[in-house]
Amino acid sequence: MVLDFNTLYSPFDRFDKLFEDFLRPGFGGQRRLTYPPLNLSQDQDNIVVRAEIPGVDIEDIELTLTDKTLVIKGERKAEEGKYYRQERPAGVFHRVINLHVPVDRERVGASMKDGMLTVTLPKTEEVKPRTISIEAE
Amino acid sequence: MSEVMKKNDTNLTQYRPATDILEREDGFYIYMDLPGVAKDALVIDLQEDELTVTGTTSYDLPEGETFTEMQFGNGQYRRTVSLSDIVDRERIRANLKNGVLELFLPRVEKTQPKRIQISQG
Repeated sequence: MVLDFNTLYSPFDRFDKLFEDFLRPGFGGQRRLTYPPLNLSQDQDNIVVRAEIPGVDIEDIELTLTDKTLVIKGERKAEEGKYYRQERPAGVFHRVINLHVPVDRERVGASMKDGMLTVTLPKTEEVKPRTISIEAE
Repeated sequence: MSEVMKKNDTNLTQYRPATDILEREDGFYIYMDLPGVAKDALVIDLQEDELTVTGTTSYDLPEGETFTEMQFGNGQYRRTVSLSDIVDRERIRANLKNGVLELFLPRVEKTQPKRIQISQG
């Protein structure tokens, strides 16, 4: 999409743009319903929660861990000025993630890079898979 | 090949980044949400009146990790903005912080009205 920001433009270019936007995957159908979008993954030792939260400092994000959930809370503030177009979500966001396994709350770590929050939740020792040795008689 | 085809020949899913455009006293500001895009993966092109921002994300999972749920993934952000004639193209500034690209488009210094002399032949 193009902003009507120009006094001189070619109507043919404009048509191309319209066409291009229409063809583009990820336009329309895949609209995100929740904010922020999350990726949950795990390996043997950790559960990893990643969230796309651009424009927010890690200090302004509140992470709360309860027995069964992790809550991500924060606020995105709108910029000051006269708006021509506003698409970036602003306001308070809040997401609750259900944790299906117990985590070691003492060793939870969080970091932020390029607008992506990563929370690493180590699984407690009891739930880790372990091999049981069978002794043959 | 048309321009449209050329732009779509990458295998990456294309996204239009959410964009704010606003005006302040000193000029125009554009904010684009580009989460996961590092500075090296971001390209800003200015061609005539068209400013095109392209950024790619690479969210490869570390070895041994598997997804339980996935709501965002790899892709390419691309967005074009047409600039008006009142933008000073030489002084455009860009800054990428916390996954948000800030573009500052200053206004052209006001040109003084000029009287045109008429010569008499």
